[in-house]
Amino acid sequence: MDVSDLVDTTTGRQKRTIYSNEELYKQELERIFGRCWLFLVHTSQIPKAGDYFRTFMGEDDVIVIRQKDGSIKAFLNSCTHRGNRICRADRGNAKAFTCNYHGWSFAPDGSLAGVPLENEAYFGELDRSKLGLVQVTHVAEYKGLVFGCFDPDAPSLEDYLGDAKFFLDVWLDAMPGGTSLLGETQKMELGSNWKLPVENVCGDGYHLGWAHAGAMSAVQSMDLAGLSVGNSSTNLEGGLSVAGMNGHMALTSLDGVSGYAFYPEPKPMMDYLEANRPTAIERLGKVRGEQLWGSQINITIFPNLQFLPGLNWFRVYHPKGPGKLEQWTWAMVENDMPEEMQATILDNQCLTFGLAGLFDNDDGDNLAACTEQSRGWRTAQMDVFTNMALGRSGPRDGFPGDIAAGLVSEHNQRYFYRRWQEHMQAESWAEVPTYNINSLSVEEPENA
Amino acid sequence: MLEMNPAPVLVEDMIALTQRLYHEARLLDAERFEDWLELLCDDVTYRMDLKRRRFRADRSPPAAVGAGVVFNENFARLKLRIDRLRSGYVWAEDPPNFVRRVISNVEIEPADAENEVIVHSVIVIHRNRIDGLARQFTAARTDRWRHGTKGWCLAARDIALDHAVLPDSNINVFF
Ligand code: FES
Ligand SMILES: [Fe+2]
Repeated sequence: MDVSDLVDTTTGRQKRTIYSNEELYKQELERIFGRCWLFLVHTSQIPKAGDYFRTFMGEDDVIVIRQKDGSIKAFLNSCTHRGNRICRADRGNAKAFTCNYHGWSFAPDGSLAGVPLENEAYFGELDRSKLGLVQVTHVAEYKGLVFGCFDPDAPSLEDYLGDAKFFLDVWLDAMPGGTSLLGETQKMELGSNWKLPVENVCGDGYHLGWAHAGAMSAVQSMDLAGLSVGNSSTNLEGGLSVAGMNGHMALTSLDGVSGYAFYPEPKPMMDYLEANRPTAIERLGKVRGEQLWGSQINITIFPNLQFLPGLNWFRVYHPKGPGKLEQWTWAMVENDMPEEMQATILDNQCLTFGLAGLFDNDDGDNLAACTEQSRGWRTAQMDVFTNMALGRSGPRDGFPGDIAAGLVSEHNQRYFYRRWQEHMQAESWAEVPTYNINSLSVEEPENA
Repeated sequence: MLEMNPAPVLVEDMIALTQRLYHEARLLDAERFEDWLELLCDDVTYRMDLKRRRFRADRSPPAAVGAGVVFNENFARLKLRIDRLRSGYVWAEDPPNFVRRVISNVEIEPADAENEVIVHSVIVIHRNRIDGLARQFTAARTDRWRHGTKGWCLAARDIALDHAVLPDSNINVFF
């Protein structure tokens, strides 16, 4: 389907049919989820050989397995005999995966290791070497985050991430110990199109004050809308909406403390930041070490990965049809944090953005209703708008990207839909534009 | 585990506690949250842990810092949740959903402390949300109830939710 008329980023307009149309959804599975690098697992979730984690790439069920040599491979979770699912657990450790249907068994490297009655039923003529699990074409790691990609012609993961690495590193590389995801997966089914939660978190500072008013009135220590935090406070202009990085986005405050000052008892968090600030500055340079590390930041990696240093949740959305998705969430921590602080973060993440999250529970019905209100014969033809602060962006010293000042704008959402349109229009990766607007030159951040 | 010789539970206690559970459910169905808080001990703990879905033979260790929770509340945090629901700004609850709790499988055992008992029960929460959309949560509860001057108060509740994927977009209800 031609999508040139469905998104207009020069006026900030989308046609609602993009949230409900079946045909467009199938095209998304092919051209977005079949083409982009998708988050699979964090290395901390499969530390040992034989550790595996089951996830999805679009609607394809995938198992990610740590190999004997420490590398990571990913396979379609589907038996090569008749297609049955071979793994029904969320995660674990296994020496082999045996299919429930006829008992074929697969080794962690995907090879077909055993076939019942191989000689009697197949007369020894089965070529097992051709019947291993189907491997995900590319698997690569960026500082603990493992991504997979089905498209053989995709750019490298590093190139795909582009200048978003500037922001990714604020979380992944500020401290020498790296990061982890904690706990079991918090899974929620939402009656929403997958794009709506992504664009909500990537740039919608606008909804905070109203959609979350109930939670904010109750949780006095957390004023997300004003980002007023404990004793320190940041005005809205103090934040940045950053986009134009190959479809990835960041929404960030610049105070270096707001992320953790939200906590009901922020003292230990503030002490941690103060004690490690020099390390962060040494590793990331002055701009990021002072202004970004410790700040509340929303980071979005196109198409469906988001994580928020500060509120410390890490999330991926799996599409389940045009009007349905599964939202998977974990708490995330730096490994250098003392265990007590990690436990506090896990608890607070579950309290605020978990399955019964005081804030998270405000969003689902809005997103579901926006989806439903794009299904009617008349509503499907209507527009929705992301035109706030249109034309009010530009470069900013020390930062990559096209930047709009403030946390309340629809700047990032416009870039999200622009990227969606670029992928949906392109027949192949060769037709997908690469752009890292206002890229910082090669100079090392240490010189900043 | 079937106790061959369970310590006898007084019939009066059995009746009183079962009535407490039903009463509690009716208070919550009617959003009488302040009245519900009256049934809780000051040191109440209210937990719902995230569950693991692993193969039976799996020997992988539990998560380092913990599985994570859906609820890990004390009295103050339950009050906080009620403050949110009472704020008038929780749009998903306005108009109010039709919520009905069914309590079943009540079983009472002695606890370590003499003035306490363990109460097992099953709860099903039906919610009619927007238009014809109905959702249901099923969970098991293991409670500790304490007898004091005001009668029985809830000292601890552990909730085991029987859904691998939460089948709704919020949990604006108490179990
Ligand atoms: S489908 Fe797996 S063994 Fe037949
Ligand atoms: Fe929100």
